Amino acid sequence: MWRFFRSELLKLRKSPIWLLVFVSPALSTIFGLGMRIAPEMEEMAWGMTYTMMAAPHGLLFLPLLTGVLSAFVCRYEHVGGGWKQMLALPVSRGTVYVVKFVWVIGLLLLTQCLLLAGLLAVGTVKGYSAAVPWDILVSSLVGGWVACMPLAALQLAVSVAWSSFAAPMAVSAIFTLPNILLVNSEKYGPWYPWAQPMIAMLSGAQQAEPGVLGVPPETLFIVILGSFIAFFLSGFVYFQRKMI
Amino acid sequence: MMRGVMASEWLKIRRKGIWLLIALGPLGVVGLQALNFFLRYDYLTKRYADDLWGAVIGNVHQLSVPTLLMGIAIVASMIAGIEHQTNAWKQTLALPVSKWCVFACKFTLLCTLLVCACTLLAAGTVVLGIALGYGTDIPLVTLLVKSYLPFLAAMPFAALQTWLSITIKNQAIPLTTGVLFSVLCLFGTAVGDWVPLKWLYLENQWNEPFYSAGPGLLLGLVIYVIGLIHFIRKDVS
Repeated sequence: MWRFFRSELLKLRKSPIWLLVFVSPALSTIFGLGMRIAPEMEEMAWGMTYTMMAAPHGLLFLPLLTGVLSAFVCRYEHVGGGWKQMLALPVSRGTVYVVKFVWVIGLLLLTQCLLLAGLLAVGTVKGYSAAVPWDILVSSLVGGWVACMPLAALQLAVSVAWSSFAAPMAVSAIFTLPNILLVNSEKYGPWYPWAQPMIAMLSGAQQAEPGVLGVPPETLFIVILGSFIAFFLSGFVYFQRKMI
Repeated sequence: MMRGVMASEWLKIRRKGIWLLIALGPLGVVGLQALNFFLRYDYLTKRYADDLWGAVIGNVHQLSVPTLLMGIAIVASMIAGIEHQTNAWKQTLALPVSKWCVFACKFTLLCTLLVCACTLLAAGTVVLGIALGYGTDIPLVTLLVKSYLPFLAAMPFAALQTWLSITIKNQAIPLTTGVLFSVLCLFGTAVGDWVPLKWLYLENQWNEPFYSAGPGLLLGLVIYVIGLIHFIRKDVS
């Protein structure tokens, strides 16, 4: 499994995927730098900057990026007819699928880390005097990452099934664009898997001013875990039986 | 020559799900706004009491902008991806057609599909407004302006996405620029009038939608010509 993991790295190493991972954190950092914070709000500077940076990132970027990355890790196989070659190697289909999934979420984790780095850079450049609220930041970023896992599972299943790069992206866009309306709804937003990255990333930071989202963590847990199991299992079983 | 190539382009996109997407985009936007309006019917009807139709059209338009940008990226990538996927660029260009013609036809195809989507959006908006019981006193000019002018304002993006999708083999890149634009356009109303993303909202200091669509058409043409020249001079691998 580890070797297989490394063979994937070889495929991705010289590809523009590293560029994609940087796009959203870079954009968010520019947003963060452009933001002005009144002196009397200095105490909350970190939280406010984080909210400003995480909102566009979590609302559309992260769910859509999940789609791009999932399609990307399947690209070499689809383009060069590599599925046959790869499955002729002494690896099980299950391993192939799990390793691809781990790569997708690994790259997403890297994106989240870069976002954190961007936030720290903004804070340093602007010289925030307050202490960095590590616990809130880390739990929000990890929360957003975990909330992406069901999406990654579905996208990987679609990416494996269709050889076109744009088709999985279409699925991703179809489910992600309703976020723009749904995150405003306290009643329906928490039940929508694609809204979870945004909710997970922002609800922690807003605990300082409670009642903004007011979503019980149990709901989120059920939605994220439930959709993850459903999407991952169906993709996994599908790949086991797929004719290559 | 153009007609033959165009006919082959129509043939190539058959059974690829492109028509499904063209239908799903506007219907999805209208459907979501239908949900929005039906769930909050009393609140929204009271809030927009003096201009109910304007509210429906405006809300649909707001949501259609990011959808349009994402749709352009995906459809452009699908149209160009047919050749990338089967490594058929050499084959297509070996036919007795000029390179500019191939590029022009792909772009025309995208535009034609987008016009279909805009028409569906307008029709869907009318159905939604009537279903909401807002009467049949439809402001037709506003409806047509808000349904079709964003398409003209989106020309720079259509030209850019066509260009990127055709010249870059790795479709992740044009699709990521599409994602980038649709995220950025959410902040479109907050920036200066000269930013192309704002044109899609048809808002400017003169309050004249055509002042947004005009520059869009012009810039679209410029990007199209640049892309065309680049494609003609580029080696085909």
